[in-house]
Amino acid sequence: MAQAAHAAEAPHSSTGIDSRKVLMWIFLASECLFFGSLIATYLVFKGDIPLPAPGFIEAHMHDGVVTGWFPTDRVVDGVEYAGVLNIPVTSASTFVLLMSSVAMVLAVYGAQNGRLKMMKIWLLATLLLGIIFLGFQVFEFHEFGAEGLNLATNQFGASFFVLTGFHGAHVTVGVLMLGSMLLASMRRTGLGPEAGFHVETIGLYWHFVDIVWIVIFTVVYLVPA
Amino acid sequence: MSAEGGHAAGSHERSHPTVRQYVLIGLLLTVITIVELAASYTPGLGVLLIPILMVLSGIKFVIVVAYFMHLRFEKALLTRLFVFGFVLAGAILISLLALFWGDPAVINR
Repeated sequence: MAQAAHAAEAPHSSTGIDSRKVLMWIFLASECLFFGSLIATYLVFKGDIPLPAPGFIEAHMHDGVVTGWFPTDRVVDGVEYAGVLNIPVTSASTFVLLMSSVAMVLAVYGAQNGRLKMMKIWLLATLLLGIIFLGFQVFEFHEFGAEGLNLATNQFGASFFVLTGFHGAHVTVGVLMLGSMLLASMRRTGLGPEAGFHVETIGLYWHFVDIVWIVIFTVVYLVPA
Repeated sequence: MSAEGGHAAGSHERSHPTVRQYVLIGLLLTVITIVELAASYTPGLGVLLIPILMVLSGIKFVIVVAYFMHLRFEKALLTRLFVFGFVLAGAILISLLALFWGDPAVINR
C-alpha cells in the first residue's frame, strides 16, 4: 500500500527528477548562453567608445556639457561629457528585484507547504515588485532618450538597450506568468494538486531573471569603463 | 499528488531553509549589494575594484542559485546541467572579448 502510494508520487523519469523540472533547468542553461553573448557584446563596445560627430556635440551640448554619449562622466579633448548611467536609481531598482526574489521564494514555500494564503500574498508581492522594477526601467530608458542616447546613437547605446531591453522583456514575461498564476489561484479549484510544483517552476524563472540582473548591475553599472 | 507530494517529488536530499532563513538570506544579499555600491564609490581601489565587484557579484549569484532556486537541495544532475550552460556562456564571453576587444574595425563601425 505504502509502496503503491510512493509509486504514484514518484516522477515519471529515469533520472528520478520530474522531467518538466529538468526541461526548465535546460532552458535556463540555454538562457545563460543568450545573456552571456549580450553581455560580451556590451563589454566589447563599452571598452572603447569613439567620439561623437561634431553635429551630435552641437545638438546635445547643454551649459557646456554634452549628454547622451558616454556611460560615465569624462572629459575628452577639452569637451566635458556627462555620463548617462544613474547608479543611485539603478541601485534602488536592483534592491526591488532582490526583494522580489525573497517574496518569490516565500510564495514557493507557502505553495509547497499547503499555506495557500501565504502563497497568494507573496505571489502578489512578487508581481508588484516586478512591475515597480519595470517602472524603473521605463523611467531610465525615457531619461536616456531625453539625453540623446538611443539604439541608433552609438554602439554603446545599441548594446546597452539590447541587453537591458531583453532583460526587461524577460521580467515582463515573468510578471505575466505571475499574474496568470495569481488569477488561477483565485479559482475555486485553486492551482490544483501540483500547486507547489507550478509555483516552484515559475519561481525558477523569476530567480534566473534576478541572477541575470545581478551580473548586469555589476558589469554595466558598477564596473568602470 | 498533494502540495507536499509535489515538494517531495522534487527529490530533495536536504531540508529546505525556513522562512526566517530565507529572510536572512535576503538581508545578506542586500548587504552585499550595499558593499558593492560602496566599493564602486570608493576612490583609490584602483585595479582591485573590478575583482572585488566580480567576487561580490559571484557570491550573490551563487547564493540565489543555491538557496532560492534550491539547487543545493536538488540532485546533482540539475547542477551539472546549469553549470554546463554557465561555463559555455563564460567561454563565449571570453572568446568574444578576446576576438573583438579594442578592435577598431568593430568599434568604429
